[in-house]
Amino acid sequence: MTSPTDGLYLRQAGIGRGFRTLVLGAVGAFFLIPILASARYSVLGNHHHLTLSAYRSLFEDPNFRSSLELSLQVAIATVLLTGLLVIPTSIWVSVRIPKLRALLDVLSIVPLGVPSVVVVLGILGAYHGILNLILTSPFILAPIYVVLALPYSYRTFDTAVRSLDINTLVEAAQSLGASWSRTLVGVLLPNLRAGMIGALILAGAYALGEFVVASLLSFNTFPVYIVQIGLTAAAEAVAVSLVALLVAFVPLSLVAIVGGGRTKRRGVLATG
Amino acid sequence: MLVTLTPKREESSPSSPPRSQRGHEFWRYGGVVPYLAFMALFLLIPAFSVLIGAFESNDGALTFSNLRIALSGPYLQSFVTSFELSVGSTVIAVVVGFVSALAVAATRGRPRALVQSSSSVLANTGGVPLAFAFIATIGNFGVVTKILSGMGLNIYAHGFSLYSVVGLIIVYQYFLIPVMILVMLGPIQNLRPAWVEAARTLGASKLRFWWSVGLPILSPALLSGTVVLFADAFAAYATAEALTSGTLPLVPIQIGSLISGNVAAGEANLGNALGLGMIVVVALAATVYVLSQRRASRWLR
Repeated sequence: MTSPTDGLYLRQAGIGRGFRTLVLGAVGAFFLIPILASARYSVLGNHHHLTLSAYRSLFEDPNFRSSLELSLQVAIATVLLTGLLVIPTSIWVSVRIPKLRALLDVLSIVPLGVPSVVVVLGILGAYHGILNLILTSPFILAPIYVVLALPYSYRTFDTAVRSLDINTLVEAAQSLGASWSRTLVGVLLPNLRAGMIGALILAGAYALGEFVVASLLSFNTFPVYIVQIGLTAAAEAVAVSLVALLVAFVPLSLVAIVGGGRTKRRGVLATG
Repeated sequence: MLVTLTPKREESSPSSPPRSQRGHEFWRYGGVVPYLAFMALFLLIPAFSVLIGAFESNDGALTFSNLRIALSGPYLQSFVTSFELSVGSTVIAVVVGFVSALAVAATRGRPRALVQSSSSVLANTGGVPLAFAFIATIGNFGVVTKILSGMGLNIYAHGFSLYSVVGLIIVYQYFLIPVMILVMLGPIQNLRPAWVEAARTLGASKLRFWWSVGLPILSPALLSGTVVLFADAFAAYATAEALTSGTLPLVPIQIGSLISGNVAAGEANLGNALGLGMIVVVALAATVYVLSQRRASRWLR
């Protein structure tokens, strides 16, 4: 992928070594300093001596455990639902109803146009009478997260589907006598594994980090817990934020590495 | 994609279903129903409810008073503040992100892959932890704040505050710049080396090349990046809420506090009117994005 002439034309067009060092150094510092500062703050806080008390008191806080458990449960439910709903639908549509593909593409980016705070507003408005019962279970978060994470999960998986000559594979499998389920499990999923893992990790990461919906529907998920302890114990909140940021790097960089080669065409999307 | 409708289409089109499966139209379309039902239940119906509610009085009659309140006084001010925040953070992130993408694209090998993958992680980070990372850095008692005041510069005495629009603009760079880098890397790498050579052969200076060739070709990508960042910043909620505990009046935060029950009598549908305002702003941005994407693809083949 890389060669000595890589980017040479840009260097010829004036993007010299000095420019690159200056820009990448400054921007790199901007991204590293908050991480380093958090690490320092979490062990010093407002004291003047080194202490791990912020980390220790976190583990002794029962709410730390329970909120983390709740977030993990909701994330697992989100991943399962995404796997059962989004992935089969994407395959089904591209094999059986290609006409609907454009529609699903558009639908998958609609959540970007409806801020999640507005989604909560709408859910409360539309279902407040009937769903008061359901809205008391934290698992109501999972289907909401499945939909809100679609711009990331669906599009990641869809890119993998598109990079595959899926109709040829299906016809080949079926002309050899494979059933539908056999085709899916034996042929399609192995070929789509990277895209599938990427989509599921993104859906799970979304669920783990989501704050707006959980907070407004009054569920004590992990991000909601961080904000709550932040009100009284800054060093603890910084400590747990630092861990959350670093932990997020592991699965998300897996997506970046696994999906890296194929995602050239993917629209770039982000969360706030 | 099906262009011709010849009688033999079913047999010859590569996208037609295999023989044994044909004719089960019901099951064919039935496969999409659960997905569409989900979208309807958790996105479309709620959005529709906001739309209707924005025009509804408390007893369900048609009214424009919600919208009138939403576009006046403190609520209009929240749109203005949200705009200032989004425009300010977008402008900085577009420039810094573009320049960084140029620097990254001009670097060969390993650093580029590293920047690319960490950008896609950081673009998806954001949220609550980010707020606390910056509190630890340039908050009242942040590490950098202390270092600076140790050097005799007390930034909080000079009017700076992390818990303000300016502070949020800085924090938002943390997830906006990576998005911009990701948006621009592809188009920059698609610049043809021959264009640089042609411009140089014709005697153009390096600056002239960027002004007359590079920037015009990259302008659709720059525009679409701008729009994506703007929509991102406009809709962001978690970071601002965690940093300012809802004291900074941004539109999403106003909606949030209306949901949380701080509703004055007769303002039940005000949230819907504000929500409609947000949808309109973001939808306008999305339209510009789609149009600019179309233009951007014109230069590639």
